[in-house]
Amino acid sequence: MEQKILKKDEIEKLYNELASEYNVYAPVKKKGNISFEKIEKSEDIVLDYLNSKIPPKSVLFPQMEVLFEYTLDEKDVEITDRQDLDQKILILGIRPCDAYSFELFANFFSSHGNWKDEIYLKKKENTTLIGMGCNTPRTTCFCTSVGGNPFNKENMDVFLTDLGDKYLVEGISDKGKEMVKNLSWLSDATDADVKKSSELAKQAEESITATIDSETIVKNLETNFEHPVWREISESCIGCGSCSYLCPTCTCFDVIDETDKYNNRGRRIRIWDTCQSCLYSLETSGHNPRDTKIQRCRNRIMHKFSYYPENYELLGCVGCGRCIAVCPANNDILTILHKVEKIEEKGG
Amino acid sequence: MSNPYIPYLTRVKSVVAENKVNDIKTIELEFKNEEDYKKFDYIPGQFAEISLIGKGECPIGIASSPTEEGTIKFTIKKMGTVTSGFHSSEIGDIIGVRGPCGNGWPMEDMKGKNIIVIGGGFAYSTLRSLIIYLLDDRYRKDYGDITTIYGNRESGEVLYRDLLEEWEKRDDIKVVLTIDREEEGWTREVGFVAAIVKKVAPSPENAVAIICGPPIMIRTAVAELVELGWKDEQILNSLEMRMKCGIGKCGRCNIGNKFVCTDGPVFSLAELKKMPNEY
Amino acid sequence: MTIETENKDIENSIRDTAKKLLSEKQVDVILGYSKGTLPLSSTPIIIRKEDDVDKLVWNNLTYINIARYLAPLMPQLCDNEGNPLKIGIVAKGCVGRAVNLLAAEKQINLENVKMIGINCNGNVNRSVIDLEIGEKEILDVLISGDDIIAKGKDWEQIFPYDQYINELCKVCQVKSPSATADTCVGECQELESIHDEFADVAEYDAKSDDEKWEYIKDALEPCTLCYSCRQACPVCYCNLCFVDQNLPVWFGKTTQLPDVIVFHLIRAFHLAGRCVACGACSSVCPVGIDLNKITRKLEEIVKKRFDFTSGLSAETVPPMMDFSMHDAEEFMLEED
Repeated sequence: MEQKILKKDEIEKLYNELASEYNVYAPVKKKGNISFEKIEKSEDIVLDYLNSKIPPKSVLFPQMEVLFEYTLDEKDVEITDRQDLDQKILILGIRPCDAYSFELFANFFSSHGNWKDEIYLKKKENTTLIGMGCNTPRTTCFCTSVGGNPFNKENMDVFLTDLGDKYLVEGISDKGKEMVKNLSWLSDATDADVKKSSELAKQAEESITATIDSETIVKNLETNFEHPVWREISESCIGCGSCSYLCPTCTCFDVIDETDKYNNRGRRIRIWDTCQSCLYSLETSGHNPRDTKIQRCRNRIMHKFSYYPENYELLGCVGCGRCIAVCPANNDILTILHKVEKIEEKGG
Repeated sequence: MSNPYIPYLTRVKSVVAENKVNDIKTIELEFKNEEDYKKFDYIPGQFAEISLIGKGECPIGIASSPTEEGTIKFTIKKMGTVTSGFHSSEIGDIIGVRGPCGNGWPMEDMKGKNIIVIGGGFAYSTLRSLIIYLLDDRYRKDYGDITTIYGNRESGEVLYRDLLEEWEKRDDIKVVLTIDREEEGWTREVGFVAAIVKKVAPSPENAVAIICGPPIMIRTAVAELVELGWKDEQILNSLEMRMKCGIGKCGRCNIGNKFVCTDGPVFSLAELKKMPNEY
Repeated sequence: MTIETENKDIENSIRDTAKKLLSEKQVDVILGYSKGTLPLSSTPIIIRKEDDVDKLVWNNLTYINIARYLAPLMPQLCDNEGNPLKIGIVAKGCVGRAVNLLAAEKQINLENVKMIGINCNGNVNRSVIDLEIGEKEILDVLISGDDIIAKGKDWEQIFPYDQYINELCKVCQVKSPSATADTCVGECQELESIHDEFADVAEYDAKSDDEKWEYIKDALEPCTLCYSCRQACPVCYCNLCFVDQNLPVWFGKTTQLPDVIVFHLIRAFHLAGRCVACGACSSVCPVGIDLNKITRKLEEIVKKRFDFTSGLSAETVPPMMDFSMHDAEEFMLEED
């Protein structure tokens, strides 16, 4: 049988084998928060989790990333490119929504203009995903409304289903199938195992309660740029940007040069940035195209549900619900989207 | 694979002050590597992300025309840390250049048409690139009549004075310079750009208008053109936005679903009207 | 009186006062808290009509300090011409302190503000509850008697309120706003000074210098420099924050420890003598850093040096923004 079984006490064995070839990233619990970190010992791996606080985008698109390094010397400058992009990365335990977000990221970073973001794309090429289905989606999950599913295996290389005391292991992509074959010590799955995983998948999909009508939303957003709803939904926003920092599909970044004057060297880095910051679009002349909170709140929603679909015919949101959980002012995106759904066609 | 964030290295060949108060200078850059210069294949209207390695980077329109071979030029206004750094750079200093970025003026589409180039103040820099290209012996015959209207607050602000005076002597381009108020020694036009546009009254027949300048100048000049019968598709604008990567990846220069650094910075008025008013 | 009954009383008093203020046109809008969409949250709300006052709630989940929306003034709190509306703000102690502080710093005009004072009974410590419940989703939280009951799909857990109240709330000395002329309606108190034991700082104080440094480094390590703490703080209102200045650049923007520590220490200094101990910074931190460990220590130092508590008066400017000939100087000269 193609499907295999990984017993929960075999995680250490799996890790040891993978770690010899890959830099393994998996969820760990640090100070109460789940985040995807590089694993040094298998005991740190937490696979019994709902979803991570910080999305796994931080593995391929870290909060701070070096673009290149340089040395300055009198009248000359020498630039050193990134040398570490060939490392093989494996992300274990990633959820379907986050795996899909990697595709959206890659899509964006390879379009627009003549240059692709080779740094991200090279890393993605060298990344293998061993994902896991969500047996218990949260009340804030709405992946099924944005083209996803708690058991979507499409964007994974290998897919795990938590059957209680063991995982069902399925190779999805060619790379994944090869990997499963090479883990020859995995036991075979039984028909009962496969049946149970289908049941869990069905249950998970049915348990999702949060839904949005994305078709209506995209349609309404085509024409309601100046609608009073934007004033309403930006009322409680404090402009902190947590929603974008923790969003798996938010890609915006800032670029800064950091120089160590005393050693004549430095690096140009990129760091996460957010369109919710009031300085995001501030021009040197002092003019700021988005200097009100209303415009900035609107831009985030429009970007995910109007501009992204306009450019790629794909929604720019994966329905993970992190923004809902983290917003300090409880400015719930589902509430916002339901308001947008209700905008009537004529004026409204 | 090539890291799109790594700049070509160039050396400063010359730094020339362009205006009386000395806050606008043109720097001329020579590529360290001949290979890189060949790769830097640009058309008028494009910009580049130029950097003082260690200080920062900014998007500046390319002031030189690709017909001016050997070096590239940028006209920079001193506004903040990085631009001040450019101003105080010395001959031989290294400046990083990434690009060329943006869509540039539609040189192909404009062939066979009359071209009105309207500029205000410091924004004339990419228009310099455009006009030098149009006037080049190899390309002049591809285009119709060329008129340029260039307005400034006062005569000390007029950029590329020598070049403009040379063009005034030519008969294949009509140059109309204007300043806002009367000045002793100024024998040319006086008045805001919009008023001069009305006076010159360029015909929209088989023509393209290119406008670059402060927002109010653009607004009033466009109004005059529309009055003269110009259609939105015929009027082109080059937008400015805050940019960081210049290659459509950092996300901040978006207007609606378009990025000014890749879908622009040149947009026609017709395109702008379809975009949200956030620029 | 249990927490549950207290809450009901407070809620009713908020709604009654709000209704009265709106109907008598003493205010144009009410700024308060409403039921959140998640079990452990509440949503700030602006009430414009008397009929809507029942949306105002009091549920021990009021983490945002709503005085935050007063400086700079939210556009929704101005009329069409940009003039400030008359605002009635539901004010627990720390919200009242923030309002007074903003008035003392001339950021708001108290003529346009009415504080609906209430006797606050604290907030639930949601990070500890989240930690104890672990990786299970909380579907509902309610206060029953003196207990917090958290419910999931097929489980329930009880947390005694007095043990699971926020650390800051445990040691709070200003539960209702300090009376400020006729700005304060409802529960307000005449307060010129408070007696604060700073019991929550004792553990930190007992550490050696090295241990303190390790403690701060460890606490700030998860920081992602998202600046939510700054955005949530009611007294952080600079048009150009030192973070965003580039002439000069005060600190690097990476998440490496030196940059993170510099940000927090500089911000803490900007808050010295001004922090109102509302805990908003800690509750909004996406990675759960307890910033109040630092701010409370600063408050203790200011109290000792200047005998000053922020937000008790709408006239007295905080000590770091003022100079008096009576200021003690020995700490500048002697080695501490």
